[in-house]
Amino acid sequence: MQLRKSNVDATKIETQMAPMIDVVFQLLIFFMLTLKIIPVEGDFNINMPLGQQATESPDVPIPPIKVRLTANIDGSLAGVQFRQLNLGNDVVAFDRLNAKIAELIGNRNNPYLDELEVEIDADYNLHYRYVISAVSACTGSISSQTGNVIRYIEKVKFAPPRRPQ
Amino acid sequence: MRYKKTRSTVLEPDMTPMIDVVFQLIAFFMLVTNFEQTQADERVKLPSDQLARPPEVAREKVLVLNIGFHRDKEGAKLDPQAYIFEGDASIPILDFGRRLLEEKRVAQALYGPEGNTEMTVEIRADAETPTGLIQELIKLAQENGFEKFSLRAKQIVK
Repeated sequence: MQLRKSNVDATKIETQMAPMIDVVFQLLIFFMLTLKIIPVEGDFNINMPLGQQATESPDVPIPPIKVRLTANIDGSLAGVQFRQLNLGNDVVAFDRLNAKIAELIGNRNNPYLDELEVEIDADYNLHYRYVISAVSACTGSISSQTGNVIRYIEKVKFAPPRRPQ
Repeated sequence: MRYKKTRSTVLEPDMTPMIDVVFQLIAFFMLVTNFEQTQADERVKLPSDQLARPPEVAREKVLVLNIGFHRDKEGAKLDPQAYIFEGDASIPILDFGRRLLEEKRVAQALYGPEGNTEMTVEIRADAETPTGLIQELIKLAQENGFEKFSLRAKQIVK
């Protein structure tokens, strides 16, 4: 079989790179300018409906666990109290609180665990960081073996603000 | 005088490696850019905690409130009063009730009559904010029908 010889020369098709490079550079500059390096943030949930009506359940509601945080004049922590028990104001005060909460709830099969609620009653001028530490100490801890979060009490609420006289 | 005739040639640089690198850069910036936290204000110095974990499912109805102080470059407070930052505006916390009422109306217009109750108020407060002011803000939000709150903190890994 005879192959017909094509008279057409093989031509190299050259794509126009300039528009693509323009667009790619535009994209690169956009992403570079919008980049904002922010550390990872997490949060603690709080449900606080105003004037929550009493449920019609005949069961007596469990009173909230009271955690009292007192402040010095400069807003630093003066003391942590858990049910009238003073836990100090040093760096391990919140670890002690965490241990007390763990002791209170007992084991994870506690049937009243979902109904337990913590009420944080803080001085007006106390720095917010201590409240976050208290909320954290009440809501759980990190397992030293697995590194997973062990949940304690999910329900946290605030007492009414103690306005300065 | 005679000139030597030379053929003019077009030099075409090889663009392939440059395009490769530029695409790598675009892919990197696309992955690193976090559009979800665009409402976060850099002026707020959040408290940090190891138990603060990002929510497993991103919330859809969120009202972010950034609370902080006016600080200089070294981080010293210029004004002891804490403000809620909204763009360039700074609103004292106790005067924020009117804005919350507007937010309530917007939430109801967007998500229906129960829109405000379904919305989570995300509080991004400076670590040195007086707790009483946060409680006052929560109370103002409650008075406008907001029920769900989340307290933001930086995640630290021990």
